[in-house]
Amino acid sequence: MQYWDLVKHLAMREIKARYKQSFLGLLWVVLNPFFQMVILSFVFSNIVKFPSLGIPYPVFLYAGLLPWVYFSTAIGASMNVLIDNSPLVKKIYFPREILVFSSLIAKTFDFFLSSILFIALLIYFKITFTWYMLIFIPIFLIQFLFTYGLGLLLSALNLFYRDVQFLFNLILTLWFYLTPVIYATEFFPEQYRWIFKINPMSVFINAYRQVLFTGTMPNIGSLGIGIGISIGLFAGSYLLFKRLEGIFADVA
Amino acid sequence: MPSNYVIKFDHVSKYFYLHHQKTLKEFFQAVFTRNKTVENLLALNDVSFDIKSGETVGIIGRNGAGKSTLLKLIAGVSTQNSGKVEVNGRVSPLIELGAGFHPELTGRENIFLNGVIMGLKEEFLKQKFDEIVNFSEINEFIDTPVKYYSSGMYMRLAFSVAVHVEPQILLIDEIFSVGDAGFQQKCMDIMNKFKKKGVTIIFISHSIHLIKNFCDRCIYLRDGQLVYDGETEKAIDIYTSHL
Repeated sequence: MQYWDLVKHLAMREIKARYKQSFLGLLWVVLNPFFQMVILSFVFSNIVKFPSLGIPYPVFLYAGLLPWVYFSTAIGASMNVLIDNSPLVKKIYFPREILVFSSLIAKTFDFFLSSILFIALLIYFKITFTWYMLIFIPIFLIQFLFTYGLGLLLSALNLFYRDVQFLFNLILTLWFYLTPVIYATEFFPEQYRWIFKINPMSVFINAYRQVLFTGTMPNIGSLGIGIGISIGLFAGSYLLFKRLEGIFADVA
Repeated sequence: MPSNYVIKFDHVSKYFYLHHQKTLKEFFQAVFTRNKTVENLLALNDVSFDIKSGETVGIIGRNGAGKSTLLKLIAGVSTQNSGKVEVNGRVSPLIELGAGFHPELTGRENIFLNGVIMGLKEEFLKQKFDEIVNFSEINEFIDTPVKYYSSGMYMRLAFSVAVHVEPQILLIDEIFSVGDAGFQQKCMDIMNKFKKKGVTIIFISHSIHLIKNFCDRCIYLRDGQLVYDGETEKAIDIYTSHL
């Protein structure tokens, strides 16, 4: 790929620059979701008591929290990437989706880095390791495609109307509660569970949990819906992004 | 059969959409009150010219005459609304003072970052690294974050990367205003070297003096229209008479 060096250095810029002036540096990537997990675990296993899940709540929670944190931070970063790089957008030509893609790569690095602690947690709670766990990689790739599609769409719209980021931050809050991150789908009233079928983030998180904890294949039917939505969203967003690309430099 | 033109503008026009309403709220208000939501501003109006390989062309005109828009179209970052723009060859814009530099990163890291942004390969930058650093004259600060650099040092580093791109078409938009006299001279020397090598150079400057010394040909733009295209002396005469 012609632009690989560019992607690499743009992603490295994000990773390196972010924590340069902090004492703990990159460790924050790991610590942030970890402490979120600790706080939420405390609340939901001591204050509000969830019914038993069959697996320790911290691991269950972490398996949902990591993909969610990845999703929300990646969307947050890509939404602003065209604005933050407006000097480049105005002066130098390269395909603009590279900016969005690179910020996603940087967040993906964070995701895998913070997963190290998750693996430690799996060992600590004596979760049985199975080959099915490796299926989390193709699920992640689908989530990546979904995030990329949404990132392209929002980055372009946000360049024209900054309202997009404020609106979307609200949507993200609602989305979080409609996704089984802190709870399991079974806790949700049955007549509303269709929400999880059409919510790709819920599809991904349920699939992760299934391959990680039950040692079975994920539900192909609902994953299929997730794949369909992801591909559709990506294709639509990409076309729109490319159509608008020619006037990015005028509004950036 | 490809002609020897490297840049060809054929009746090119470019509008800007001026949004009177920056937010959705204002936009909806305007829709209800039937105000104009978008107004077109003609930045380039039916501009035609072509530039041969190896020419050094100055572009003059007052602020807002369309000079920078012209460069944007050549660089390919913006697209025209009508007409045709043809560009053959690698365009390298001498961008604003270190656009793409990250203040927290060191000079070394920024050389690579800026280089790949301008379309160079990492391998190539590794080979040229010492040369780039020497030219920029900031050897001892190369591992210092660039946020601690003076604006002159910042500029020198940016310029140094830019001139090592080995461009075929070089776009220069008003960049010699920074840096001390010595460095400015060095920049001019490099420009002259490029000129001798046969690099096509498009040069925007408000400095009549620089244009006169440097360009063989000059395009004068006024309110988006091409007023004169030809001899530098003549273009400058017309331009100054309009001032």
